Amino acid sequence: MEPVLKALALRLDAMLGPDRVITDPVRLRTYECDGLTNHRSTPAIVVLPDTAEQVAAIVRACAEAGVPYVARGSGTGLSGGALPRADGVLIVTSRMQRILEIDIPGQRAVVEPGVINLDVTRAVRPYGYYFAPDPSSQQICSVGGNVAENSGGAHCLKYGFTAHHVLGCEVVTPDGELVELAADGPGYDLLGVFVGAEGTLGITTKITVRLTRVPETVQTLLAAFDSIEAGGTAVSAIIGAGVVPAAIEMMDALSIEAAEAAVRCEYPPGAGAVLIVELDGPDSEVAAQFAEVERLCRDAGAFEIRIAADDAERALIWKGRKSAFAAVGRISPAYLVQDGVIPRTALPQVLARIDALSAESGVRVANVFHAGDGNLHPLVLFDDSEPGAAERAEEVSGAILDLCIEHGGSITGEHGVGVDKSRYMPRMFTDTDLDTMQMVRCGFDPAGLCNPGKVFPTPRLCGEVPGVRKGPHPYEGKADIF
Amino acid sequence: MQPLDALAKVCDDVRTGEPEEGVLGVQPALVAAPASVAEAAEVMRVAAEKGLSVIPRGAETRLDWGTPPERCDLLVDTHRLDKLIEHASGDLVAKAEAGLPLETLAERLEEKGQRLSLDVPLPGSTVGGTIAAGAAGPLRTLYGTPRNLVIGLTVVRADGKVARSGGKVVKNVAGYDLGRLFSGSYGTLGLIVDATFRLHPVPTATAWVTCQVDGPQEAHDAVQAVLHSPVAPSALEYIAPGTVAALLEGVPDGVVARAGQLVELLGGKTDITENAPDGCGAYPDGTTLIDVTAPPPSLSDLIGVVNSLGNGVAMTWNGSGHGHIGLPSGLSAEEVAGALSALRDVLGRHKGGAVVRYAPQDVRSEIDLWGPVPALGLMRRVKDQFDPDHRLSPGRFVGGI
Amino acid sequence: MSAQDDLPKLLGDCVHCGFCLPTCPTYVLWGEEMDSPRGRIHLMQQHVEGAPLNAPMVQHFDQCLGCMACVTACPSGVQYDRLIEVTRAEVEREHPRSLKERAIREAIFRLFPYRRRLRALRGPLLAYQKSGLDRLVRRSGLLERISPSVAAMERLAPPLGKAPRLPEFVAARGERRATVGMLTGCVQGEFFPGVNAATARVLAMEGCDVVIPKHQGCCGALSLHSGREDEARAFARRTVETFESADVIVVNSAGCGSAMKEYRALLADDPAWAARAEALSARTRDLAEFLVELGPRAERRPLPVTLAYHDACHLSHAQGVRAQPRTLLGGIPELTVLEVAEPDLCCGSAGTYNLLQPEAASALGDRKAVNVDATGAELLVAANPGCSMQIATALERRGAHIAVAHTAQVLDASLRGLGRDALVGRTS
Repeated sequence: MEPVLKALALRLDAMLGPDRVITDPVRLRTYECDGLTNHRSTPAIVVLPDTAEQVAAIVRACAEAGVPYVARGSGTGLSGGALPRADGVLIVTSRMQRILEIDIPGQRAVVEPGVINLDVTRAVRPYGYYFAPDPSSQQICSVGGNVAENSGGAHCLKYGFTAHHVLGCEVVTPDGELVELAADGPGYDLLGVFVGAEGTLGITTKITVRLTRVPETVQTLLAAFDSIEAGGTAVSAIIGAGVVPAAIEMMDALSIEAAEAAVRCEYPPGAGAVLIVELDGPDSEVAAQFAEVERLCRDAGAFEIRIAADDAERALIWKGRKSAFAAVGRISPAYLVQDGVIPRTALPQVLARIDALSAESGVRVANVFHAGDGNLHPLVLFDDSEPGAAERAEEVSGAILDLCIEHGGSITGEHGVGVDKSRYMPRMFTDTDLDTMQMVRCGFDPAGLCNPGKVFPTPRLCGEVPGVRKGPHPYEGKADIF
Repeated sequence: MQPLDALAKVCDDVRTGEPEEGVLGVQPALVAAPASVAEAAEVMRVAAEKGLSVIPRGAETRLDWGTPPERCDLLVDTHRLDKLIEHASGDLVAKAEAGLPLETLAERLEEKGQRLSLDVPLPGSTVGGTIAAGAAGPLRTLYGTPRNLVIGLTVVRADGKVARSGGKVVKNVAGYDLGRLFSGSYGTLGLIVDATFRLHPVPTATAWVTCQVDGPQEAHDAVQAVLHSPVAPSALEYIAPGTVAALLEGVPDGVVARAGQLVELLGGKTDITENAPDGCGAYPDGTTLIDVTAPPPSLSDLIGVVNSLGNGVAMTWNGSGHGHIGLPSGLSAEEVAGALSALRDVLGRHKGGAVVRYAPQDVRSEIDLWGPVPALGLMRRVKDQFDPDHRLSPGRFVGGI
Repeated sequence: MSAQDDLPKLLGDCVHCGFCLPTCPTYVLWGEEMDSPRGRIHLMQQHVEGAPLNAPMVQHFDQCLGCMACVTACPSGVQYDRLIEVTRAEVEREHPRSLKERAIREAIFRLFPYRRRLRALRGPLLAYQKSGLDRLVRRSGLLERISPSVAAMERLAPPLGKAPRLPEFVAARGERRATVGMLTGCVQGEFFPGVNAATARVLAMEGCDVVIPKHQGCCGALSLHSGREDEARAFARRTVETFESADVIVVNSAGCGSAMKEYRALLADDPAWAARAEALSARTRDLAEFLVELGPRAERRPLPVTLAYHDACHLSHAQGVRAQPRTLLGGIPELTVLEVAEPDLCCGSAGTYNLLQPEAASALGDRKAVNVDATGAELLVAANPGCSMQIATALERRGAHIAVAHTAQVLDASLRGLGRDALVGRTS
């Protein structure tokens, strides 16, 4: 180990105690990747702090030593956002697991970053509340990770993303200070840009989340269609009718096959596509709209419609969808997951183009997507033992993202850019756009030590700001007159 | 070349400023009204070359908010940037230029049965101004503020370069969300030139359920009853001195049933009406407007403080935990400062705060408009990056930014 | 193909999604990747790729409880149960352990699989010191770890009356519906004789002839789950022989039942035994599983008791038996079944785990006791003797007075119309 890292490890050890600092190579390697395994890098040091003050002290120690650091929650990210640095420290928040406050009258809760998403809901459910963001990994992903990634989930169509459900964060800034960022305070909405910055602006140590009232009714149906096109027609008809479902999800034949193999979800046999539509809200609203959704599905050619009679049946309908990613492991030795977004109305064209891409290249693509908001999760299948297969899959995967951009969409709807998609950022944004975003980063982290190498393909040199001033800061004294 | 001439070369609507165009008494030397994003960029580039300080202006509905600028060499007026660039109704998305008034936008969207779920407390407000002020009305209970509805933003930076963030799809986490950063930034980070919003269908039925309450405790109880009920109101407002009102939106049968549920829940003096009750959706009367962050549990304390401030103090509050207080004219700076500090004391205990939007000029210069600003150092550093020469709305914002 | 050759393929099934993490007791305790199933699989992968089996690796394998909650949670179908067994066997073969560790392990495996030696543990500490137990067991410090559990268990056992010595045959009451072989189990037999008596009575009352071979030995569960494969195979062969003629073998101890269902894999490479082991595994049933398949016949009499049901890992995760015990208990009039929070989380007993990793085990036991206590139940029902001892000890530590019983005992009390006092008499 480099002397500077060795010294840092000793310092961290003295600060946190030996069982909070990992330097053993075998143990370190288990942290080499998050939920995305095609990028790996073993960190030099892993630390497991218990408190916000410890996180701040760790960041200060890193800043003083000039050592980069990366924060990690449960390690379930799908863009390599928590990929460690071989020359740096990995700060793992999984021990910071306390739910600090539940304020039902104020419809909010305060949690530590390592608290698991679903545990927030479990804690407030007895009061008739839940935490709305529901990424597929909600049973294990951490709220801190949700903040970093601005996580969505199947139900963000109606309820929005993590950014809409976080009211405030206590943050350790890259200079090691603890500050409070609020959605609704005086000054810039720094919270708004911090959420979704993929851990490049600091590390959150305490999160105030908004709690959402459990809807009076939830109604879920599964509609089976001959083709994706027919399913797409149903989606357009539903949205066109002014219905705002809690979720609309679609799976194609290949992903249905995988889910069936994994969890025996028993979707209608022979379906070319299944659509899951969930409505929630007051009884009277849902009843009226649900009948309409059912009719629209039939009109679009659904050959079978199942309506969940209770929570168990609803869970079974969702089971296939929620396990789809991991389930693809049953039908293919390896796969890449994409996360492109297109305007929903472009679904038919884009799916046809993906089909064509798949046919031309001989690379199988399974499609699972949040149809309501045009968020595609093409699963590009390949056999990693076959030479060149990974490269071909990568090519198809990149071509799909190009399609998304071409149709005015985005390269990522919820997984984040991380290290995996930073190379596609210049296809979506101009140099000026990226440079402007990085101005924020330079404001927060001029030394570039906080999760470097993520989001942006090339770092901005923060020192190159035109007109850098010398002497006292022009604001000095101004705010102090009161 | 003189700034006026240099600007005239790139923009065909440039003139010298009039005294009545003053921003809180600071008269602009020049006014430019670019008609396109490209023209706006050129104007900003010239301003950078000439070292001009720049203040963006929309419909002037909130130009009197905040602190007076240190200087104003150039007022960039956005009224010619008034196009609805795209309304992709199938995708529930619209892109509009900064100078488009929200009411005009609403009319256009309504043609396709859609809306931007932002109220317009001040008639005439533009897209850009509303975002820059982070303004919203009663619908914020369900839909939030501009930060929740802007999905793409184009700005012209201090150096005249055009930068975009977000896009035209709702679900998008590529890159930093500058839309949220610019929401409520008072024109201090850049010139907003267009924005893309997520839209919602216009509900087929609406109803207001209005209940009269007597005193802070009753108000608190009524608000809590509605918040924890399953009726899911789009808006929940308290309007002093004693009205709690909830807006229900949805399908006709649903709205009728939910309104019935609410009447039962609130009991007694409850009415169902088509229109919002008086005072709902507008800023409260007064010459000083205070914006308060006040989570629901603080409502009774807040009402208590407002009552203690004496007659003529008006107040509205939204179930999202945000309110406005209007102080009557004729109060001295000490009296306003006293009111502010009473509010901050009480709200501070609830993790809330109070910010003065406008006040009479003599009062404004004597009081702390913003209150405590956590993370001010970080804000200054961000400002320094976007506007290293401090030419954009200088001095208009927190901590002298 | 031997399991060893299979390893790379088994490891390849893991896509690193992390869904197993929240179900893993050690991850829940410590929040460390290498003490999660995903992390342990990563360590196994490192080893397959050539990293030597060193002390840190072994430490994390040893710290796995083998509760199999991760197997249930895994959407990709990773066979972690196979992975950890193969890995443990390799650890036992290749990794030199310290003298102290060896002593305690040897002591465990000289004690538990042998009922006569276990018998000496009942009663006060003095009794075992006089008992002439083998010196290794006495000197290992094992007794000091066991004695509080034994004592707590004895205090909390339901007062069903003195357990009769089981005959070799119990005849069905009424018309016979089935003939079953019954495994009595080492720990169950010695520490919970009442459970075996209740099991035999319930089976008989439901119309089963019950055959209880006198010379049955240990099923080998503890050895199998600790990587002592050869020892486990020897126990397995003997058990296969003992029960070869039974149509169904009913097991009331979750750990034993799960091991017997694994015989097919354990003896798969042994041509002389593979088919016989396969057949035995196929005929093995947990008591609750069997009774639900059989369908109720005897009259259920009211039992106004509020109980909490604890899922033993080797029943719920290893055998997938979750609904059946609840169905049986739910069928008893006036009985209320409560669910324990964090039901998938192991109580820390895990075979020999509470003896080998006492700190982690006791932290998990405390966590389970808090959750059990929070239900407000007056009786805890668990279908594994290890769980019963572990949770009873932890409940006692926090001063919670909750009786502990086996599903069989609750059914027995209902079928015989004994009333609530038979189950919760001492605590109410």
